[in-house]
Amino acid sequence: MPYNKRSGFFPALRQGVAIAKKPFFILLLGIVMMAATAAILRSYTSERAYGLDQNQCLLCHGNPDLAKTNSNSEKVSLYVKEEFLNTSAHRYIDCTACHTATPHQVDTPLTKLSLAQKCGTCHEYQYNLHKESIHGQQLLQGNADVATCVDCHSPTANPHNVIRVLEYSAPAYRKNIAETCGKCHRNETLMGRYGILEKVYETYMRSFHGKAMRLGTYEISRLDKATCTNCHGTHDIKSLEDPQSPVAGMENLARTCEQCHPDAGAKFASGFLGHKEATPQYFPGVFFTEIFFLALTSAVVALGVIVTGLAVIRWGINRWKV
Amino acid sequence: MESVSAVPEVQTAAPVNKVLRFDVHQRLQHLVMMTTFIILVATGMPLKFSGWGMSQWWIDFWGGIETTRTVHRIAGWTMLGDCLYHILYIGYGTLLRKRPFPYWMVPTPRDFRDFFQELRYFTGLAKTRPQYDRFNWREKFDYMAIFWGIPIIGISGLIMMYPVFWTKFLPGWIVPAALVAHGDEALLALLWIVIVHLVFNHLAPGVFPINTSIFSGKVPRERYRHEHSLEYERKFGSDIALEATPADPPPQGAAGEPLDAPETPPETPEVKGEENPEGRTR
Repeated sequence: MPYNKRSGFFPALRQGVAIAKKPFFILLLGIVMMAATAAILRSYTSERAYGLDQNQCLLCHGNPDLAKTNSNSEKVSLYVKEEFLNTSAHRYIDCTACHTATPHQVDTPLTKLSLAQKCGTCHEYQYNLHKESIHGQQLLQGNADVATCVDCHSPTANPHNVIRVLEYSAPAYRKNIAETCGKCHRNETLMGRYGILEKVYETYMRSFHGKAMRLGTYEISRLDKATCTNCHGTHDIKSLEDPQSPVAGMENLARTCEQCHPDAGAKFASGFLGHKEATPQYFPGVFFTEIFFLALTSAVVALGVIVTGLAVIRWGINRWKV
Repeated sequence: MESVSAVPEVQTAAPVNKVLRFDVHQRLQHLVMMTTFIILVATGMPLKFSGWGMSQWWIDFWGGIETTRTVHRIAGWTMLGDCLYHILYIGYGTLLRKRPFPYWMVPTPRDFRDFFQELRYFTGLAKTRPQYDRFNWREKFDYMAIFWGIPIIGISGLIMMYPVFWTKFLPGWIVPAALVAHGDEALLALLWIVIVHLVFNHLAPGVFPINTSIFSGKVPRERYRHEHSLEYERKFGSDIALEATPADPPPQGAAGEPLDAPETPPETPEVKGEENPEGRTR
């Protein structure tokens, strides 16, 4: 190809560049790229299930309207939300592992207890601990208020949506434990039924441990601050009245403190307010410290506001007069 | 300068229109106190208000409480060291250099009269401002507040840092009490600094936007005469010194109003309170 001074060696390339510089082409390119980006992002967030579903259960059970009527003529939804399976700890375990190979012949009335027992067929150790706990004891007596496996391990209390403990979004991730316990223990009417009057969540959040946990990072290696389970236990949480509870009595409490504060001793443990507010009778030293500083701060700040306020007014008047 | 008598000898070195008010130790002590105070507030207040979204964002910004806690402890120890420095400085000046004990820092009945006189002046009930000596009542208040605040905040901070150690010989409730005392005393100090100290020392007419005397040690002569007239007259004689230096340019206020208005107090623009005594902020 002879060299053309006007169009250079590659006239076609020059023409192409000229077209590429036109606004409509740039606009078109932008639209195409945005569409491609949107399509790629959408493919990542699609509602397609990633859970193992060897028997195509979700063909029917993926339908939100699927329901049956049980012997009490109550409508029971049979819908399994596919996105839940995507983040579930058990996404690679087939439905039949829990629902048996002949799921349609089984007619177990589903209760909190039967659900926990089902988890216990694999998680035997945790199930046995839970059976000994105050929650588990109540569960065996048919109390449906108590926390069972899914209440703490699934954000939606749904067995299809159990999240591994080490994932940030898990309700049992260390950083989230106080919130998770708080789902029930902040409910005053529910707690009132069992005589738990202490505002356990609020007092924890005001304490050293609660502040540190709340303001700490999400890194597991740095989540070494105490949360509910450090003192009360996890699967084997005992009632405060149970002498086996790690927080029952000063002796046990001191041993519990010593897990993190070596050599703490009973005197150190006696400084714990027991999730209660200080009153003139209960921890008078703390109560009167609070009152004293409230009075002092109010008085001094009031003095400062008065002096400065009057001064600012005077400066304004002086300026205006001049 | 530890003593009043130090002023004239330094005066020869300073520019003629400025008067040296704080020596290098006092300036350094104030600088360290100010810096550590700001750092302690920035890393401590988010803990007091840990429920606020802003606190969580701020602490996250610095890499979590693990980072800010370390910074807070270093700053706290530094502040305590600064106070020790000040105590040693006074002890050295008084005992070894045989300077007078800084009695001018001690509140007297006159300060209470000055306080009420100032309030009467602000409200228009009195025509004249109180005449101040080396330190006015606000400066003494700031200074003495540290002698109250540092033991409270220092000891409660140490209790929270080493709770196991302290509960070996103190009752257990001292730890939750320390938490209350530490946070409340800090909030009190912060509010006082913002509401009174910053307004009178930096935002007042005549010094706005910033009063550099605690950092440079020097105060414009005219402002010194206005704000600490009793001390000024004692040292320089009433107006003789001013007349002797007619070439001094009049110090300018922020808004441009000259500070050397005629010596008729009611109509003069109000003057800011002086920087902290003894080189301290609180």
